[in-house]
Amino acid sequence: MEYIKQRLKLIDSWTLIGLLATLLVAIIFFSTQSEYFFTTRNFLNISRAISIRGILAVSVTMLLISGSLDLSLAAVAAAAAMATASLMNSGYSDVQSFAGGIATGAILGKFRIPPIIATLGTLLTFRGLGYVFSGGDSIVIGAQTWAYLGRGSGIFNLPVSFIVFSLILVFFWAVLNYSVVGNYIYSIGSDPDPCRYVGINVDTIRFALFVFSATVAAFGGLILLSQGGTAQPRALQGAELDIIAAVLLGGVNLRGGKGSLVGTFLGMCIIGVINNGTILLNVPAYWQMVFRGTILIIAVTLDSFRKGGGYR
Amino acid sequence: MTIEMKNISKSFGNVIALRDVSVTLNSSEVLGLLGDNGAGKSTLIKILSGIHENDSGSIVFDGNEVSIEDPRKSQSLGVATVYQDLSLVELRNVSQNIFLGLEPRVARFFINRQKMDSDAKELLDKLQINIPNVRSQVENLSGGQRQSVAIARAIARGGDTILLDEPTAALGVEQTAQVHNLLRELKDAGKTVVVISHDIKEVLNIVDRVVVLRQGSVAGEGYSKDLDQGTIVDWITGVER
Repeated sequence: MEYIKQRLKLIDSWTLIGLLATLLVAIIFFSTQSEYFFTTRNFLNISRAISIRGILAVSVTMLLISGSLDLSLAAVAAAAAMATASLMNSGYSDVQSFAGGIATGAILGKFRIPPIIATLGTLLTFRGLGYVFSGGDSIVIGAQTWAYLGRGSGIFNLPVSFIVFSLILVFFWAVLNYSVVGNYIYSIGSDPDPCRYVGINVDTIRFALFVFSATVAAFGGLILLSQGGTAQPRALQGAELDIIAAVLLGGVNLRGGKGSLVGTFLGMCIIGVINNGTILLNVPAYWQMVFRGTILIIAVTLDSFRKGGGYR
Repeated sequence: MTIEMKNISKSFGNVIALRDVSVTLNSSEVLGLLGDNGAGKSTLIKILSGIHENDSGSIVFDGNEVSIEDPRKSQSLGVATVYQDLSLVELRNVSQNIFLGLEPRVARFFINRQKMDSDAKELLDKLQINIPNVRSQVENLSGGQRQSVAIARAIARGGDTILLDEPTAALGVEQTAQVHNLLRELKDAGKTVVVISHDIKEVLNIVDRVVVLRQGSVAGEGYSKDLDQGTIVDWITGVER
């Protein structure tokens, strides 16, 4: 075991290769088990299914790389969707309501406080706000409202929601890898003190990242709203763990400073394929929960094996 | 550039770290700051670096009183610091560490990686620091190499004054010699250098002047050519012969 640990620590680039191999194995396995799995239609379904959680995963990835962890992003998405639906039903225009939803995310992001335990508090608060907007009921905005965003198809027949996810992913991938701010996000996650000592405003960057990530999450919430035409206070409840599992599986370091959005994308794909495959194989819902929990445990264990990984 | 720290005092709660300390750094000299643990050496350096603010006293650069409220201000005054723990970003590479906060840019927001790498290589070559690949992650470097990267980062700030807190404390003989060479190069290049150290022999070999702190106050100072180890030990311990 120790030998395997040492080998894993030595190889830094194994993550992406391992993820691709895992994805391939999962696809081959489900293809042999279900005739409905390896079809264009099913892959489009998977891409649609991972879009919203994928958008949230982009935010979680950025935060984790910077050394922060936010458990309340799914609640932010749900609250933003509820706020938007309320605005629409109060007579505001589509554009005004959309802007209101995004602004809700940004405002909620502003009130978050970095420590994980504080985001547990904001998770409850924002989830509660979702119920407050509607008195606990769902808010219907109509199946056709923004249907193109949630259910439409674009280039190569890909779901628009997946295209939006891909664009967000590529944009933030470029930010992380090529921009000055991206360099600071990685550096702060690795160790904030050297950054402070050279005059980088660590607190401002962390704050901005929380606001940005909540804004992106709110956008995910609006896509969810447009998928079903209904805003539900319980939307995305429990999705936090799926998202964190995908992000850790994708090689993002729980201690910060390491990881990539390419890894997160592959992690999301693996979880999407497994979720889809288990449904096609009629695996009972309770067992699906067991699978998800196991994936999270594997993801955290892999993180502790990686060089510089593990939780402190 | 001459820097005068006049009557500096600093307390942390009830603990008095510095009491009315006055130290002058003359242009292009290497000053050794000596003292026992808790004497106030690092606190003095951190005040000049903008990490701590002095409670009282004044700092004067070439006759102008300045207020150093943060590290950025210190850097703008031409002061660069190599901290005892080096303060390198372990998970970033050599050039990213050297140019942290000073990255060459393209279109304002993006890093010009090629320029950053070539500038880093040029700087390391100039300082005769042997690190084969500027894209090596810092966590994979040896102690001497890390120390050298920290010094290179300080030099890359382009300032005239370089403060080094215990630059050889964690190094072996060969790596210590490497750092001493670097210090000589800095001196030859006309930089003002402050070296904090416990090692009296080392300090006497490489510095022009010595200031000794004891329990937050200046216990003695003089030119190294006029001092012997015994005198400095007396200043450090407070024992009079």
